[in-house]
Amino acid sequence: MLDDRLDDQLRDAAKDYNDPPETPREQIWARIVAERAEKTEKRPLRHLRPLRWAAGIAAVLALGIGLGRLSIDTTPPVTAPAPIATATTPRVSNAAYQVATAEHLSQSEAFLTLFRASVRQGGNEQLASATARQLLATNRLLLDSPAANDGKTRLLLQDLELVLAEIAQLSPQPRSRDLDLITEGLERGGVMSRLRTAVPSGPSTTQGAL
Amino acid sequence: MDDQELIGRVLAGDPSAERALYDAHVDRVFRLVYRMAGDLDRAQDYTQETFIRAFARLGEFRGEAALSTWLGSIAISIALNGLRKVRRLRDREVALDDVPPMGRMTPEAEPDLKVRLAQAIDRLPDGYRAVFVMHDVEGYTHEEIGTSLGVHPGTSKAQLFRARARLRDALADFAKE
Repeated sequence: MLDDRLDDQLRDAAKDYNDPPETPREQIWARIVAERAEKTEKRPLRHLRPLRWAAGIAAVLALGIGLGRLSIDTTPPVTAPAPIATATTPRVSNAAYQVATAEHLSQSEAFLTLFRASVRQGGNEQLASATARQLLATNRLLLDSPAANDGKTRLLLQDLELVLAEIAQLSPQPRSRDLDLITEGLERGGVMSRLRTAVPSGPSTTQGAL
Repeated sequence: MDDQELIGRVLAGDPSAERALYDAHVDRVFRLVYRMAGDLDRAQDYTQETFIRAFARLGEFRGEAALSTWLGSIAISIALNGLRKVRRLRDREVALDDVPPMGRMTPEAEPDLKVRLAQAIDRLPDGYRAVFVMHDVEGYTHEEIGTSLGVHPGTSKAQLFRARARLRDALADFAKE
C-alpha cells in the first residue's frame, strides 16, 4: 500500500527529472551543418591519406618505368655480342619489369581495398578518381612494355585497367549505381583475389610476385 | 510525407528532406538526451552527434523498427557513452584535487521529494537509469526500449522493476511521512 502510494508519487515527481527546455532547433541544426561540412573537408586528408601516399608511389613508379623503357636498347648490336651478354640483358630487364609490376600491383591492391571501404563510408571519389588516373598511366606503361610477355600478368593488368578506367572516369558526385558497377566489376573478375595472389606478402621482392 | 519517403529523398541527396527528417524527430531526441544529461550543452552535443551519425548511416536503416526508435537507439548510445566519459573525467579531477566526497544529504536538508528523487535517479546504474527515464519519464514502450538498448523487452521490464525498487529504497522515508 505504502509502496503503491510512493510509486505514484515517484512517477509524478519523475516527470520533472531533468525537465528539458524547448529544443534549440536552429542552433543544433546550424551546428550539424557546420560539423558535416568540416568533416567533408577533412576527409580527404585524414580518411584517404593512404590514397595520396599510393598516388605518390604510383607517380614515382610511372617515372621509373618510363626511364626504364627509354634505357632498353632495342637496336641490334653493331658487333656480334658474346653469347653470355645476350643471355644476361633480357634477364636483367625482366627482373626490373617484375619489380615494377609487383610494386604497381601492390599499390593497386591497396588503392582498391581503400576505395571499396571508402565507397561504403561515403568517401571522396574525386581523390580516388585522381589516384586511379595515375595508377592507370602506370598500368598502361606496364602493359605496353616489351618485357610484358607473361600471359597471366598481362590478363590481370588488362582487367585492372578496366576497373581503374571506370574509377578514373567517376564524376565528382557519382551515382551509387556507378559505384555499385565498379565494385561488382571487382568481384566479378576476381580482380582483388588475383591481385592479392600476385602481390608478394613481404617487403618488395620479385620472389613469387607474379 | 512518411518516414520511408523521407529516407528515400535523403538518400537521393535532397537537403530539404534532411531538414524535414530532422524537424520531425529532433524534439524526441533532444528530450531524451537532455533527460539523461541534465545539461543543455551536452544535450545539444548529443543531439547533434545523433543526427550526424544518423545521416551518415541512413543507408543502413532497414525499417525493421520505426525511424524514431532507430534514432532513439543512436541517441541513447551516444548519451550513455558521453556521460561515461564525463564521469571518468570528473572522477579523475576529484582524485587529483583531493576533494572530499560530498556527504549524503539528510532528509531534513533536502525535504523536497523531487530533488531527492533526482539525486536517487542520478545514482542509478546507467542501464537502470536509461530504462527508467525512457519508460517512466519519456513514455517509451518496453519494445522500443529493448530495440534502442539492444536488449529483450523482458530485460527492460526487469530493469525498470529493479530501478523502481532502488528508488523506493532510497526514498523510503517519504513513504513513512
